[in-house]
Amino acid sequence: MTAAAFLPWLTVAMVLVAAVQIGRRVILWRGGGPAAVDWRAGLTALPRRYLVDVHHVVDRDRSASRMHVPTAGGLVLACGLLVLGLVPAIAASRLYFALVALAFLTMAAGVFLEARRRYPRALPRLSLGRWQRLPVYLGVFALGGFATALLAALGNPLPALSFLTFFAAAAAGLALAGTAATGPMRHALAGAAHLVAHPRPARFEGGRSTDLAPLDLDAAKLGAETPADFGWNRLLGFDACVQCGRCEAACPAFAAGQPLSPKHLVADLAAAAGGGHARPYAGMPYPNQRPTGGAAGLHAAVISPEGLVHPDTLWSCTTCRACVEECPMMIEHVDAIVDLRRFQTLELGAVPSKAEEPLENLRGCDEPNGRRLSERTDFAAGLSLPRIAETGEADVVLWLGQAAFDLRGQRTLKALIRTLHAAGVDFAVLGEEERDCGDLARRLGDEATFQRLAAANIEALSRHRFRRILTADPHALHVIRNEYPALGGSYDVVHHTAFLAELVAAGRLAPAALAGRAVTYHDPCYLGRYNGEVEAPRALLDALGLERREMARSGKRSMCCGGGGGAPSADIPGDTRIPDIRMDQAKTTGARIVAVACPQCTAMLEGVTGERPEVRDVAELVWEALEAGGAAATARAKELEPA
Amino acid sequence: MSRPRRDPRGERATKTITAAGRIRLDVALRAARAAASGRPRRDPWREWAASLVDETHRKRYDRSQRQMSREEAARFSTVRDTIEATAISPGQPALRVIEKPAFLVFAVVEAAGGRLSRFDRQVLGAARLLADAGDGGGAVVAVIAAGATAGDAARGDDHETGLGAAGADRVLVLEGGASPSGRSAAMLSAVEGLSPRHVVFAEDGDGADLARRLSVCLGEALFPAVEHLTARQAVRALRHAKAEIGLAPPRLMTIGEDRAKPYEAIPCEARRLDLGPFAGAGGTAARGDDSAILSVEIIPGDPARLSLSETDFVVSAGNGVSDFTAFRALAAKLRATPGASRVVCDAGLMPRAAQVGASGTVLSADCYLALGISGAPQHLQGIVGCEHVIAVNTDLHAAMIERAGLAIVADAQRVMPALLKLLGEAGA
Amino acid sequence: MKTVVLLSDARHAISGRATLSGLEARAISLAAALDPAPRGLHAGGGAEGVSAGLGHGLQGLDVLDLPEGADPVPALAAHLQAALGKNDAPGIVLAGRRGEGGLETGLVPYLLADALGLPILADAVALRQGEAAGTLVVDQAMQKGARRRVTIRLPAVVTVHPLAPPPRPFAYAKMRRGEIRFLPTAEAIGDTAGGGNGSGSGEERPHRARPKLMRTGGTAAGAHNLHVGPEPEEAARLILDYLEANGIRRYGDTRG
Repeated sequence: MTAAAFLPWLTVAMVLVAAVQIGRRVILWRGGGPAAVDWRAGLTALPRRYLVDVHHVVDRDRSASRMHVPTAGGLVLACGLLVLGLVPAIAASRLYFALVALAFLTMAAGVFLEARRRYPRALPRLSLGRWQRLPVYLGVFALGGFATALLAALGNPLPALSFLTFFAAAAAGLALAGTAATGPMRHALAGAAHLVAHPRPARFEGGRSTDLAPLDLDAAKLGAETPADFGWNRLLGFDACVQCGRCEAACPAFAAGQPLSPKHLVADLAAAAGGGHARPYAGMPYPNQRPTGGAAGLHAAVISPEGLVHPDTLWSCTTCRACVEECPMMIEHVDAIVDLRRFQTLELGAVPSKAEEPLENLRGCDEPNGRRLSERTDFAAGLSLPRIAETGEADVVLWLGQAAFDLRGQRTLKALIRTLHAAGVDFAVLGEEERDCGDLARRLGDEATFQRLAAANIEALSRHRFRRILTADPHALHVIRNEYPALGGSYDVVHHTAFLAELVAAGRLAPAALAGRAVTYHDPCYLGRYNGEVEAPRALLDALGLERREMARSGKRSMCCGGGGGAPSADIPGDTRIPDIRMDQAKTTGARIVAVACPQCTAMLEGVTGERPEVRDVAELVWEALEAGGAAATARAKELEPA
Repeated sequence: MSRPRRDPRGERATKTITAAGRIRLDVALRAARAAASGRPRRDPWREWAASLVDETHRKRYDRSQRQMSREEAARFSTVRDTIEATAISPGQPALRVIEKPAFLVFAVVEAAGGRLSRFDRQVLGAARLLADAGDGGGAVVAVIAAGATAGDAARGDDHETGLGAAGADRVLVLEGGASPSGRSAAMLSAVEGLSPRHVVFAEDGDGADLARRLSVCLGEALFPAVEHLTARQAVRALRHAKAEIGLAPPRLMTIGEDRAKPYEAIPCEARRLDLGPFAGAGGTAARGDDSAILSVEIIPGDPARLSLSETDFVVSAGNGVSDFTAFRALAAKLRATPGASRVVCDAGLMPRAAQVGASGTVLSADCYLALGISGAPQHLQGIVGCEHVIAVNTDLHAAMIERAGLAIVADAQRVMPALLKLLGEAGA
Repeated sequence: MKTVVLLSDARHAISGRATLSGLEARAISLAAALDPAPRGLHAGGGAEGVSAGLGHGLQGLDVLDLPEGADPVPALAAHLQAALGKNDAPGIVLAGRRGEGGLETGLVPYLLADALGLPILADAVALRQGEAAGTLVVDQAMQKGARRRVTIRLPAVVTVHPLAPPPRPFAYAKMRRGEIRFLPTAEAIGDTAGGGNGSGSGEERPHRARPKLMRTGGTAAGAHNLHVGPEPEEAARLILDYLEANGIRRYGDTRG
């Protein structure tokens, strides 16, 4: 009897230990709320979701994919082969053990690469503690297994040594299996199960799913208070976290020293579900962490002075989805945050004190700044701005949004309106019938107000005949395009950058070249990440003949300006301000102009003091180019207009 | 907002002429419309005249934010004949005396801390208007609760001169104790004894309370929160300010803040009125209230902890102040609420809540002591309502120096310890 | 101690929609600090608007069905009289110092106190239970930040001042769960809230906004008083003299 002959049994033992551990976790997940899961579709799609979608994200950090592919591949291959070893005929083959040794060697190579990320010094975003010890266990297991199998393949020349290596492998392997419920190895099964039962199946295979799910306002409890209030597959998702810290590295609130780290939050939510008072978290703490009691449990409140997470953590989030975009485990951080906020706002009324006023105004007069809806079109005095109630119908409805009440936003809107006239677009505004789109209310957790506003807007829109809705506000765009359908209003919504790009492409606008100026484009989160529109604004800038320079973070991986999710209303103090960080990134490109496409981004970036690039909306740049093009262009555009 | 909202669209539409097929604006229409709006029109000519320095016909900027005085107004009439100004008659008496009043008008004033507030002067102004209505001959009786001045005998004189200047012919001090029902009983006896034609209260604080208690006791209608008062009619809003009601000035009314002009003509005599035989006649009004009130205690406001919008005296620090420990100590010693300019708040030297100005708090305090503040326009907007401004600044040409009633060109950092020392001596 | 908050028919200043008056929202938060289950009482057409009070901390809401323009005082008085006779009688009746809608005379709490024979205190900014049972300590707002602390034996009517602490934030779920009782009233007595204390013979007409007086500084400051480069001691003396001369503050005998 050689030591290698025990390797298959070791695998069986490990699987059994892991199964028991995971079983405990499964019982915990079943404590979560109900969730509709298409198991068959999920299981069929699993390989593709894992090998394509997950790998695509993991591969953004080459050192991660290089270490994970051999480690996980070697481990799965070795264990699979070893299970075959239960057949005596196979176990007798030296070639078989040579293959097993090769699998273990592959795994050991992966573990070596992983160890390089952590020793002598771990990357700052990685968690330490048990995560730091993981490569040690894996390494001992891989090397022990490799040596044992190699000795068997060589005909077992040193039986004593092979028992020694076998025991090393067995100790490490069982230790790994033993942590399958609470330790790092939990990610393997929870991650796979999460991919099968993902709460947003539509986001895989190139799809996009970024809309928040409507809340049933007649439910017994509104929003999530305890871990048990999350759907079971959401709890599963928190358990899938590998604490790689990519979310943390991408999080604007974390960068600004606000007390939020998406990684820490997800780890806390997983720990909260597990219960107990302990917080075995070995990553970077929340910046400027506020003290909390640390009590946890499946049925204990998460956000409370006694709980695990301080409210300031919750309200620091800008809902920019950078964490979700970066997460290799496809965890939905923003959904969790919004669900927690919904409970705070709807059940407790515990919104940050500064956020109360906009919510109160939205409840009282459908406008967060307490302005009269009829004043929305005042800024355009002197411009021809038809109202759809007067024209009866229009090709395009121009959704003005919040920008119409803001002096800076008005400049953008005026440029857009003039451009639309120059292109001879048949458009109209809703005027008084346009209420706030409800974005702010929804992100601050006030789902009741959001649904009321959405219903009122859908009702107003249903009264008129039009083909498309055009807006310069990506927040309104996202809400109307992606979130109104669930409430009964499906519209073709287009962002002004896409619309203007269409007009330019169709030759209806002839902007002159604004050559000689360097510009960098800041992607709004709600346009780029939420809606995947990153090309049209760039195409427009190129059409204007501007020299386009990209910031290090751009496109779908752009960094937030700090203006989303009601974060400016909540105003949680940090060490610095998010727009200052973003503006510094813009400055390093050397561009003199930051092109923006969102009134929130404009306001936030304009608020940066000191020497900085000029902030211009793409619409303003287009209008400037048109003016430079002169009347000839305008006249030509007019001619193209059908009579 | 009390003003009707501007409708830029509407205004533009009214000025637009489409006759020739081309849209153009008729700018001349503007003047015609403005005149028709019925609002008191700004008179640029008058303002221009006011900005002249003496008779030299050289313009200067007036940063004092003070209204034009009567003398100035008279002088302007020489500058431009068309300006209507109140002539000052040479033989004007120094004191207005009404010996035998045809009727009485009560003005109930609070005079907290022994001083008439803006609102108190407005109430007296309203009462004066009613006393001079029609054939005139009425006398204004300033009614003060004894608590307001009690124990401050030395201030009695100040008090009455203040009342006289504000338009009171008589002063009646009500002895009713500190409890509201006691005051209302004393008030009732005074009303029953002297039968005033009108009783005017402030729609604020104890005045508003007293008015309603009296109304219930007398079973008589109260016309509250008057928005517009002339000799002929009093108007007030109701039904969410969607409707209004106007009638001949009723007997009991309260007047809204900033709705009546204070009296500014020749001082009246403010003679002390003895209630005499009527005292104590109002016993009937004393209801069961008093037995329910177990104790009354006045807690003076702590200026250091008051909000800027509520306080009456603000001492404020600007760029010229560097020692904020001394500044806070000074504010405490002066019994003033500490404030600051935007620069100081931006630097984090004072909390944001302390910022005075258009983007901070707009004050309604009586007095503003500005230490080392030059007076940016936004800052001055915040102290428009302050009656007394004291400025300490090193720059003679600072706007704040010009705005101040007492301007001291000196280093605030050096004046602060001197003030502290002097206050220390005084307090000892 | 059981607390009832009177709610009026307020309208939002911008949208004109029925809403909860801000002052009454403050009254609710004062009530909620004394009574774990404060109730709202509204006499009017419906619960629209006032139901927001449930979201701000009321546990229940009684709506007395009253036709528009009817005097709310008799209905409120009858309801409260009945409640006061019961075992679980309310100790405090809170109201804003002037209700909205209707004639807006601010007389309703006074007339109610008169009808019920209760004492009334105005302009409360803080309430707490007194040391003796059945008493209440009321801090009344006075000018210049002063407070009058009155201890009163309950039951009593108390009106709330705008300087009272800000209301508790609104929670939709609490509003949804709150219980609303619609109660019929005996008979409606003609118009003019304030039991004959209405507005007499005046005709109602559309409101016309009138500008308030401008808050410019008075002329009392007198002549411009400029001192260039005085010694600090002299400057300090000038400042204190000015403050005392104008009656701003009195600092004892500063003349030594």
